[in-house]
Amino acid sequence: MSFFSTFINPASSVRAESDQHPPIRPRFEVEETDAAYGLTVFLPGVSKEGLEITDEDSELCIRGKRATAMPSGAVALHRESSDAPYELALTHDNTVDTGKIVAEIRDGVLRLSLPKAESAKPRKIAIS
Amino acid sequence: MRYILTHPDTRSLAPAAAFSGRLAEAGLENQLDWLFGTALTGFPGLAQGGQFPVDLYQDKDNTYVRAELPGATRDAISVEIVNGSLSIQASRKSKSTEGEESVWFSRLISLPDDVQADKVSASYENGMLTVTLPRTEESKPRKINVAIN
Repeated sequence: MSFFSTFINPASSVRAESDQHPPIRPRFEVEETDAAYGLTVFLPGVSKEGLEITDEDSELCIRGKRATAMPSGAVALHRESSDAPYELALTHDNTVDTGKIVAEIRDGVLRLSLPKAESAKPRKIAIS
Repeated sequence: MRYILTHPDTRSLAPAAAFSGRLAEAGLENQLDWLFGTALTGFPGLAQGGQFPVDLYQDKDNTYVRAELPGATRDAISVEIVNGSLSIQASRKSKSTEGEESVWFSRLISLPDDVQADKVSASYENGMLTVTLPRTEESKPRKINVAIN
């Protein structure tokens, strides 16, 4: 996907390392239609409240904190998952209409629709 | 070769996050993140096909099995106890340009002996499946007062 290049700036890496759990990059998928880009991000354990989505300077940033629901006093015998928050930063060019981005999270899957700006949509030119 | 020389030795930087942003190719970077992420946390091929990460917790009353199953179809989640093992099966519909396809996941987890198999319950929230397995009365820690003469 040429429109989306991935990028985490050095400043955010430094900040991340000072935290208790450095954020991990969630798995994601990008698809493109004529009208929009569709982004699917897998964020198991993240509820609507723990999610923060920003789009600034052509960088879409998704941060998700896990809502850990284990009863207090429960001891982990075996762990394969992590408590680390999720962080995904994607840069895009200015063809995305940031005012019309729609996000929905359901069962730990975030679906974002990033509509293309009118100028970026394919146009058929009529021949007179 | 040149690429390796112009960058710090990434192999010494253990966290997978350290690899982010080092490779220009987004797809490759993603795959590498993915590879290192799984290698470091010690479970092969999570969510990619078949297996998914599972946690095991215990307190004095229950044993809990928690599985990461984002986007699973609720009706298709199956939790069964077979011969002292917990079997979790789930599927997720994944949309691609060719249409919808279902991805199946399953995992068999050995359980401790002290589980009351008939009282097992499960919940699915935020893409996490939590199975609560009550422990038998005999196995719960008991406080016994011993009189000392």
